Amino acid sequence: MLKKIKLKEAVGSKLAHDVTEIRPGEFKGPAFRKGHTVCEEDLCRLQRLGKNHLYVIDVEEDEIHENEAVAILAKSLAGEGVVWKDEPKEGKIKLLADRDGLLRVNTTALAAFNMVDEVMCATLHNHTLVKEGESVAATRAIPLVMKRAPIERAAAIASQNGSVVSVKSLRHARVGLVITGNEVYHGLIEDGFAPILSEKLDALGSHVMVVGFAPDDVDAIARVIRSHLEKGCDLLLLSGGMSVDPDDVTRHGIMQAGATEIHYGAAVLPGAMFLVAYLGEVPLLGVPACGLYHRVTVLDIVLPRILVGEHISKTELAFLGHGGLCKDCAECSYPHCPFGKGM
Amino acid sequence: MQDFETLLKGSADAHGHLCPGQVVGVRMAMLGCRLIGLDDPKRHDQIKKLIVYVEMDRCTSDAISYVTGVRLGRRSLKFMDYGIMAATFVNLETGKAYRILSTEEARDLVPVYAPEINEKSVQQLRAYLKMPDSVLFRVQRVRVPMSEFDMPGPTHRKVSCSRCGQVVRDHRELQLDGMTLCKPCAHGAYFKNAQEVTWPDMNWSPQQGADLKALTRESKRQRTEGKESK
Repeated sequence: MLKKIKLKEAVGSKLAHDVTEIRPGEFKGPAFRKGHTVCEEDLCRLQRLGKNHLYVIDVEEDEIHENEAVAILAKSLAGEGVVWKDEPKEGKIKLLADRDGLLRVNTTALAAFNMVDEVMCATLHNHTLVKEGESVAATRAIPLVMKRAPIERAAAIASQNGSVVSVKSLRHARVGLVITGNEVYHGLIEDGFAPILSEKLDALGSHVMVVGFAPDDVDAIARVIRSHLEKGCDLLLLSGGMSVDPDDVTRHGIMQAGATEIHYGAAVLPGAMFLVAYLGEVPLLGVPACGLYHRVTVLDIVLPRILVGEHISKTELAFLGHGGLCKDCAECSYPHCPFGKGM
Repeated sequence: MQDFETLLKGSADAHGHLCPGQVVGVRMAMLGCRLIGLDDPKRHDQIKKLIVYVEMDRCTSDAISYVTGVRLGRRSLKFMDYGIMAATFVNLETGKAYRILSTEEARDLVPVYAPEINEKSVQQLRAYLKMPDSVLFRVQRVRVPMSEFDMPGPTHRKVSCSRCGQVVRDHRELQLDGMTLCKPCAHGAYFKNAQEVTWPDMNWSPQQGADLKALTRESKRQRTEGKESK
């Protein structure tokens, strides 16, 4: 329970919470820390900060102080790859990535958690690539003192499927590229895909082990796929032949090679004709021609998720629709833009 | 207690259809029984330990009654007309009682838990199957003062209304201006203009058609089987 006392009578008592000072454009932070014993000299400054009353805390048995509460919340929210320090500032604790990787947010549990009145947690978008030490989420308990039960219920909600935020390391894939198309195979034009795809893979810590070329021929494409797998590739990227023209047979080549699962079409622009297939455990990603022209496509959204071991199927590709439209800005600021952040 | 799926199926059959209320009711009843320490409330040795107060006359109440075996006629089911999606489970032996409230947040979170489904009641069903208890319910430990006149068992008291003469059981009569009255006489009733009438075939009775001995035998057999299965 909180008791409100007049500022004049507060000398000698301990502050129940941090007192925040904001100097516009200059400073925002605690002017006085929780637990500070108020003395005569403080009164003027407290008045300047608009405080004429202060809270004195009287915590009942079934109650909890915000600092203790927020630590319970942080513990329940933080999963694999996420760390936090039990040093709440103004009642808030930041959750940090303890590794480079892909942020995973259980958005369902997050929504349910935030429906509890006394608590909040804000995160970066699900599936954001983060660096070690980066803030991925922050949480706080709203009241200074509250009942313990809702905090424990919120903590249970947060841990319903392990946790709310986690950071997964990207595996270092041994990638095989399959560049299809008669025009490239017969040397009529130079391939533009291999360098672009290699650069994207390098940036994510994977490397291209082998590059194979195939004409627009089902058997030939299947042969290159199988040969890559025999060489030990654990991720295949295929370019060309992904659209609906009669010469576009890459899909059939993938089926011929023995794909166990195949999903053609993603709710993303650019990248509608993207393909995800699996041959046993090995994912095969079919990159449509837009990958040659656009700096960022569906591949940039899906590739990191594949590299953390997520199984991408029809549902995942369909759910990309919300936020799946690239604005095609003159100056691209991806990943700091809404593209691919809907789910 | 049977597993969730079996209970849900039985409850839906008994209620008439599978609806989101059945899912919530079955889960509420399972949680309530667990909290007060009854693992098989329909079993003969547990059935008399349980009283449930339901605060709504909705699908959920049927599911609670189905899972726990509480019945209005056994006085183990109490209906409190609050219009609140809540029920209190009381263990008469230990005095332990928990009031479980279905959260409003759970309703708002339905599209979040089942975004892949469009049709509203199917989406509710799916979401209520997925949500953990912590999202679906809030629980309060409560004390439920009960008078001896609320307990199951034989009628302890009968008095007659001093205005209409109706016999009133279990201390449900009221004292008003020194008179003992039934509730309709004291406060008015849910019905109006009561006129006593006659009706066609007034002298019908089942007496001739019913084989009382066979009925008694059958009822006894069912009771014995219930005891043996414990």
